Amino acid sequence: MKNPFVMECGNYKTKYEKDMAIFSIKRVKIRMLGLAILAFLFPLLADNYVIGLATLCAIASIGAIGLNILTGFTGQISIGVGAFLGVGGYTSAILTSTLGLSFWVALPVAGLITASVGALFGIPSLRLKGLYLAIATLAAQFIILFIISRWTGLTGGTSGMVLQRPSIGSFSFMSASSYYYLCLIILLFTIVYALNLFRSRTGRAFLAVRDRDVAAEIMGINLFTYKVLSFAISSFFVGIAGALLAHYTMIVSPELYSITVSIQYLAMILVGGLGSILGSILGAIFITLLPVGLGFVMDYIAVYMPDMQNTLAAFHELAFGAVIILFLIFEPDGLAHIWSNIKHYFKVWPFSY
Amino acid sequence: MLLLCFMLLMGVMAACSGEEGAAGGDAEAADGDTVKIGALFDITGGTGDVGTPYSEGEKAYYEYLNSQGGIDGTQVELIGDDYAYDMAKGQRLYQELRDKDNVSAILGWGTADTEALRQQVANDQLPYFSASYSENLKNLEESPYNFLTAATYSDQGRAVVKWIKENHEGENPTLALLYNDTAFGRSPIEDIKAYAAEVGVEVVDEQVIPVTATEAQSQMLNMQGAAPDYAIIQQTWGATATILREAQTLGIDTQFIGLNWATGEGVVEIAGDAAEGMLGVVTHAFPYEDLEGLAEMEEYLESKGESLEDVSQKFVQGWVTAKIMAEGIGNAEELNGEGIRKGIEQIKDMDLGGLAAPVTFSADNHAGTNKVRLAEVKDGKFEVITDYFSYED
Repeated sequence: MKNPFVMECGNYKTKYEKDMAIFSIKRVKIRMLGLAILAFLFPLLADNYVIGLATLCAIASIGAIGLNILTGFTGQISIGVGAFLGVGGYTSAILTSTLGLSFWVALPVAGLITASVGALFGIPSLRLKGLYLAIATLAAQFIILFIISRWTGLTGGTSGMVLQRPSIGSFSFMSASSYYYLCLIILLFTIVYALNLFRSRTGRAFLAVRDRDVAAEIMGINLFTYKVLSFAISSFFVGIAGALLAHYTMIVSPELYSITVSIQYLAMILVGGLGSILGSILGAIFITLLPVGLGFVMDYIAVYMPDMQNTLAAFHELAFGAVIILFLIFEPDGLAHIWSNIKHYFKVWPFSY
Repeated sequence: MLLLCFMLLMGVMAACSGEEGAAGGDAEAADGDTVKIGALFDITGGTGDVGTPYSEGEKAYYEYLNSQGGIDGTQVELIGDDYAYDMAKGQRLYQELRDKDNVSAILGWGTADTEALRQQVANDQLPYFSASYSENLKNLEESPYNFLTAATYSDQGRAVVKWIKENHEGENPTLALLYNDTAFGRSPIEDIKAYAAEVGVEVVDEQVIPVTATEAQSQMLNMQGAAPDYAIIQQTWGATATILREAQTLGIDTQFIGLNWATGEGVVEIAGDAAEGMLGVVTHAFPYEDLEGLAEMEEYLESKGESLEDVSQKFVQGWVTAKIMAEGIGNAEELNGEGIRKGIEQIKDMDLGGLAAPVTFSADNHAGTNKVRLAEVKDGKFEVITDYFSYED
């Protein structure tokens, strides 16, 4: 038997299939399976509050992977994620609450409609790059929110709409853990899809577009098709995340999809690591839990300085901003890079040279 | 590496406080002489100007109540936090209150978040008092656990329209509506317009002004064009003061009437003499009025080395809201959400010592009252000019 504490020292690939594999060695495969099982067992050990947070993390991860497909892998900046989440949420709300369709129909339709709206706003990406594109997608944010808050007949205007949790037969996903499982399963599908996407022609075309679009075009990649496709695929997942979030909070309202949400999603993929699926998830977890963690720190300090509570509440925002800035300065490649650094450190340990 | 340490530390702290919360819950179930009330405060958010004194009023009342022996010996523990008028944060805080702190009832804040939470509140059976008096919350089918402790924004607006109709000199009063583009701002607009059309007050203009606005010149210029006799303001202190200042600069002679969150000492403080002559809907008393209900508050404030001069009307509002909740808890047979809801539904004509209109709840009516008073700013101070009245009187 192999000593489990000894690290791999070489990994020779003899077949192209091996080079293409998602998990290059068996041990990684087992480890990933273990991680997935751990995620499934987790609700048995945690209380409802922690499961609720984990659900929010899972939903944010789906959205962050979506955004990372567009920004991290295809190099197209989008500041309209918040509004696309809203499109997903509202589509699902209208389909289930107004039209009485089942959640299981509404969810994929919400994804598809968000994908088409995303593709529509992706059209300018052929001509616009970088900051110009960022502002064009910012327009999407404002236009979509404007439509949502003014089209009162369809969306209920600023008062929003009320949704129900999904159900199968008589079983309703009302409890914290059941909804967590639902989101977790969809997240796993998203991960598997995204990992496979970048082994396919489409995914590779995305990478080529990101690295040098002129070169990609010379290679025969149709820039317009792939850029719009990237917007569509990315928005699909953002829409799914939006629908899941809407059914989780059981409300949609224009206030939930402000520009702040878009910035948060951008922060997720920046902090997590651009162009990394693992990074998207780590970033989503980090940004979702950071305010919670800061809340604990503030409560802890407030015990010693009870009169300061109101002042500390204001520091919350400051600390949030500071953590993100420090992150971008000291680890611009994100949490995914920290993780791979840790792995490499242990791989060669104790002989680091 | 430093960051990693920070994260680990945070993880450890999260785990610790998680256990603490669970232990607290067990203790509560065992001896049962503490009841936990959750609260969502807005201290740093868009409506923090009125949210801060309101939250202090709520905290103060329970502190006072506990010092007086609680509710028949039951101590009230208020667990609240700032959610910065952010729905997503409010949602997270609500979960924390429900799952970690195991609260039995909640004192909420804004319109958007209260409306957002009403389904979950109903599902979790947690009675919910919001500082939002949105008409939507009256709907018992959609919000069976929400209670309104003062007249709804729509009822306030209707009362103002009725007052305009009755007190206007000359013919056909014209009205403008100034509000912000949030669920809170838009809440009474359609109802006011419908009621105005019914009684014959013409709505000639509507202007949207952000709740955090520090200038509103273009909107006020637009309004000036329509030259309304009256303008109803649905904002909080900051934006109201902005409107009054711009009106003064532009020389607009419209009579401004603020709904309850636009009324209070803060407006005069910020707007100065621009506030002179403004009318305001008063749902809760000013601390400088001569009312028996203020005695308790004075006693509490003196024990803290303060006086009634240090608090504002919004403090009274928080105090009264907390007091109505305490009454409901006192009526409850069981100290859980369902029991407290039934307790609140037993409240009949609760006398608040003049601090607010008496409230009545029942199983099929969760709107405590529809009565308001009007006050006018004279020499830098709101002076109440009417008795409690409603549009139905």
